[in-house]
Amino acid sequence: MAGFITRRHLSRRTVLRGAGTLLALPLLESMVPAMSAVPAPRTRFGAIYFPHGATMSRWTPKQEGRDFGFSEILQPLEPWRSHINVISNLGHPLAYGPGGATGNHNRSSATWLSGAKAASGAQPRLGVTVDQVAVKYLGQDTPLPSLELMIEDASLSCGEGLSCAYRNTLSWQNDLSPLPMQNNPQALFEQLFGDGANDAQRAARRAQALSLLDSVTEQIHDMDRKLPAADRERMDRFLTDVREIERRIGQAGERVNGHVTLPGKPNGIPDDVEEHIRLMYELLALAWQTEITRISTFMMAKELSNAVYPKSGIRDSFHILSHHSNNEDNKARFAVLNRYHTTLFAGFLERLSKLPDGEGTLLDNSLILYGSGMSDANSHNHDPLPIVLAGRAGGALEGNRHIAQKQLTPMSNLLLAMLDKLGCREQHFGDSTAPLTI
Amino acid sequence: MRRLHLHRALLPACLLLLVPPALQSQDLGAVTRQYCTSCHNAEDWAGGLDLGSLDPAHVGHDAETWEKVVLKLRAGMMPPPGKERPSRDETERVARLLETRLDAQVASSPAAPSLHRLNRVEYANAIRDLFGMQVDVSGLLPPDDASNGFDNVASGLGISPALIQGYTTAAMKLSRSAVGDMTATESTTVYQMPANLAQDRHLEGMPLGSRGGAAITHEFPLDAEYHFSVRGTFALDRNPNVKVDVALDGQRVEVRNLRDFRLPVKAGRHVLTAAIFDVRRPAGVDNIYSVYKVEGALDSVEIGGPFNATGPGDTASRRRIFICRPQSPQEQQRCAERIVVNVATQAFRAPQRLEDLGAIMKFYARGQAEGGFEAGIQQALSRILIDPRFLFRIEAPPPGAAPGGAWTINDIELASRLSFFLWSSIPDQQLLDLASRRELHRPDVLAAQVKRMLADKRADALVDNFAGQWLYLRQLGTVTPEIEGFDENLREAFIEETRSLVQWVLSHDRPVTELLTADYTFLNERLAQHYGIAGVRGSHFRMVKLPPDSHRRGLLGHGSILTVTSTASRTSPVIRGAWVLENILGAPPPAPPPGVETNLDGDGTQVITASVRQRLELHRANPTCAACHGVIDPVGFALENFNAIGAWRERDGEVPVDARGTLVDGTSVAGLEDLSVALMSRSQLFVTNVTTKLMTYALGRTLDHRDMPAVRAVVAQAARQDMQFSALVLGIVQSPSFRQHGTAPEITRLAARE
Repeated sequence: MAGFITRRHLSRRTVLRGAGTLLALPLLESMVPAMSAVPAPRTRFGAIYFPHGATMSRWTPKQEGRDFGFSEILQPLEPWRSHINVISNLGHPLAYGPGGATGNHNRSSATWLSGAKAASGAQPRLGVTVDQVAVKYLGQDTPLPSLELMIEDASLSCGEGLSCAYRNTLSWQNDLSPLPMQNNPQALFEQLFGDGANDAQRAARRAQALSLLDSVTEQIHDMDRKLPAADRERMDRFLTDVREIERRIGQAGERVNGHVTLPGKPNGIPDDVEEHIRLMYELLALAWQTEITRISTFMMAKELSNAVYPKSGIRDSFHILSHHSNNEDNKARFAVLNRYHTTLFAGFLERLSKLPDGEGTLLDNSLILYGSGMSDANSHNHDPLPIVLAGRAGGALEGNRHIAQKQLTPMSNLLLAMLDKLGCREQHFGDSTAPLTI
Repeated sequence: MRRLHLHRALLPACLLLLVPPALQSQDLGAVTRQYCTSCHNAEDWAGGLDLGSLDPAHVGHDAETWEKVVLKLRAGMMPPPGKERPSRDETERVARLLETRLDAQVASSPAAPSLHRLNRVEYANAIRDLFGMQVDVSGLLPPDDASNGFDNVASGLGISPALIQGYTTAAMKLSRSAVGDMTATESTTVYQMPANLAQDRHLEGMPLGSRGGAAITHEFPLDAEYHFSVRGTFALDRNPNVKVDVALDGQRVEVRNLRDFRLPVKAGRHVLTAAIFDVRRPAGVDNIYSVYKVEGALDSVEIGGPFNATGPGDTASRRRIFICRPQSPQEQQRCAERIVVNVATQAFRAPQRLEDLGAIMKFYARGQAEGGFEAGIQQALSRILIDPRFLFRIEAPPPGAAPGGAWTINDIELASRLSFFLWSSIPDQQLLDLASRRELHRPDVLAAQVKRMLADKRADALVDNFAGQWLYLRQLGTVTPEIEGFDENLREAFIEETRSLVQWVLSHDRPVTELLTADYTFLNERLAQHYGIAGVRGSHFRMVKLPPDSHRRGLLGHGSILTVTSTASRTSPVIRGAWVLENILGAPPPAPPPGVETNLDGDGTQVITASVRQRLELHRANPTCAACHGVIDPVGFALENFNAIGAWRERDGEVPVDARGTLVDGTSVAGLEDLSVALMSRSQLFVTNVTTKLMTYALGRTLDHRDMPAVRAVVAQAARQDMQFSALVLGIVQSPSFRQHGTAPEITRLAARE
């Protein structure tokens, strides 16, 4: 845990020197603000996923360090160079395992933010994801602790004995609780800004919702005594979430008051996939701008997606093309698709760069992970992963760098380092061995 | 191996030559030694299995393993090709002996499902049956995850804050719509036509003589004015050759400007039709189904409103809710109590006493104080819709039940299990009445109810949800074939054909094996053309008798299955073969090991002259691949005469199609007909597989080896009725597993299937 521990030790040594001891004391909450390089509390955290990896030879920049030359796939990000770090040679060892191609696809999205092993069986079991760790620090005072978004419908059939949860979400609250992702912009809009035509109606409905949830809470307390133990456990889970929604609704009223102009409510899901993706990015930017949430995960496509992107100029379906047979021409065409996805992501960065936030822009105050849990979909491997960091994390992170790590550096080391940049003091994350220096 | 020789020495050598019809356990030992343990031993450990260490006299000790052995034998997969194997009869006898032994074991208590919550489909159906409202809950509730192939498996149905948020929003919105929401503000719904829908012909449900267009069923919230906008491609509304007729519930309405008009509409569900008529057509030809190439198609229909609402109207939901109308303020309380007891009884699926509904009546009181009687009812309904008694299928242990033990569920709980199995919804009054009188569990009553329920329209849910997931029909909604000739019309026709066959077999007491052999199918003109079957005109589906030389007998000749098992651009014998093994025989092949090359498409820009088959043959020359693909591919090869959207073909690219292959059990097949014969020779396995899947769906939990005796009992019982699909359903309902709530820990994988 080189970088991270060192810095923490340094800080603590400063504090503890007077006591003449170097005991590994638990970090006190109150010490956090005193530490140097503590990021602004308003940092937004995003993780944006594309499946099937990329043509890595056309992804990885040739030079390392500052002022590197952008690669073909990443070139659309060049206008935001000062807010971009490309991180190379990371891998996810726990994404390897049995189950052949399908298993590897499932684990790509499952392991990406968890650094944990996906269990087989009807009961999905993984581990808490990095966004949900950040929620503990940055999501407690926002109406929505986090927002989970995707484009496609949830898969319904993922093979016998395999849960679809691994492919349907990036975000896990704990090892047993995958968080479903929203793909309907209209439902997302209501989730963000409430149900109702005006402030008064929204307020009245919030009050109603609160009393409903309150009443259910009481009822579950009464029921619990009569239920078998296994059922009680599940009902308690229900109750926890009921309380959580009570809390969120309680806060929601404070957020959307007057200082943002809301766009028109979207009508369902756009037919055109590009329009759909752009709309989700737009709503995401709006959610961050209003601080309805600060933490979001977004799956632009799911593993094994056979989406076709007519506007990319490539007519092949996504997953099929990713099996390029090591043919240079196929790899080049897959790179065109990869670059197209980068373009859509760049559109989001452009939006963030235009929204003022505090002293700077929303892009300055964001930390966004962009990448995949697969490297080369032709061989279904999980290193080296295509990974980019965007945003300056409120000043905690520099930009304009291509940071090449040692080969097979655990991706979880980066996730741990990102938590640190967000001000989330964790010793360890997933299968991390040490935080990356970024 | 040493240990093995010792065993062999103890046995008289002649025994192997005299395997009698009724096998004994020592014979079983001998058979395994002759055919199995040269690979499945402690040293070679093939497939992670050492059969030599197991005692066939006591199969109960290793039931999980022996169930796997039974499956491999029944499927003809073991011993593998090239090894000495017993005759088919002998294999069957061994399998039967093992099954008899396994079935004789004292069944351990059935695994308890986790506390079951309603999934999205069940929730929407419950709302339909409670209030007579069709709702699209996909915008209200988060999607459900499927486990073991079905999205009603309790352990896979997670609970999350998003879910609670969804339940809360849905409870408030739906209760407002049910009662009629006078505070409703304008909202717009856009119905977008699929981009790939051909609108050059008549579509089912549209006026005769029209082409394309749409009939949209919309719930109008109030008696009010609504805004409509009908948009087309190629300036549909200004093309002098085309006329667009708009009708509401079949009544034509005069419209000046298609893109912007208003109509007064009564609250409730209405059908808006936008039909396209080509004005200039030659006289004297069949003007019903003829094809005219006039440009212009319907693109979208927008419905906005309500404006200037005059009242909640007389909707189906209001008729169901307001079973009484207070004539004076004094009557309000009593009437509210009657309404709440009535709705709660249906929603909670059990008779309710007023004293148990205090929390709900509080919401009535609050709403009544704020906005009068109806506002009170609306608030009470919102409370019912978020009640755990509605959202969860709670089965409580009877008084005196031992903690941790299994118990027989009561009639009220049985009513719910039945209705969620067959209707994916809540029980109706008749079921609840029978349950309240404790008659439902009686075998004759139960059989009569299953018959009644299967004949009910609500049983469509069994086809949509069970067959839709079992046969991957749901995936057909999202596949994007890039083959000339595929469009939305064909996609919809594919789904309808397979739905209709399953529906027919189920509701007409036909043998379940007819799904593979039916000498009839269900077609409309579009699909018949695709199949090259003459004489089917028009957009509606009808049963069509297939000629003896037809290639469309049974599911495996259906465009739906053939498409969903292909890639976007070509057939995949591997996917098709694996699909048959998994979904027809219930013996899924293992997934390919990581890192293997699975792409056959090569360079997409070059012309591929080798057929898919030839490319696969190359790949099978590799022994690592051959072990599994020798089993999978021949099944898929037999279907190579169907292209990636199920059209018949004689050539694959430049190469003539070769649909020959040798199945793992040595049977030579060439084409679908041979394959069907081969599969039917293992029809027992097919029926067992359907039963296993159906039981998983019925119980909403993963099955494991402990359930296999129960599965076989259902099959054995159905065998007396010609393996009728309906007999399987009844057998499952009457099985102890369906009647019991157990508390054994759930095993997470169907062990017999690994």
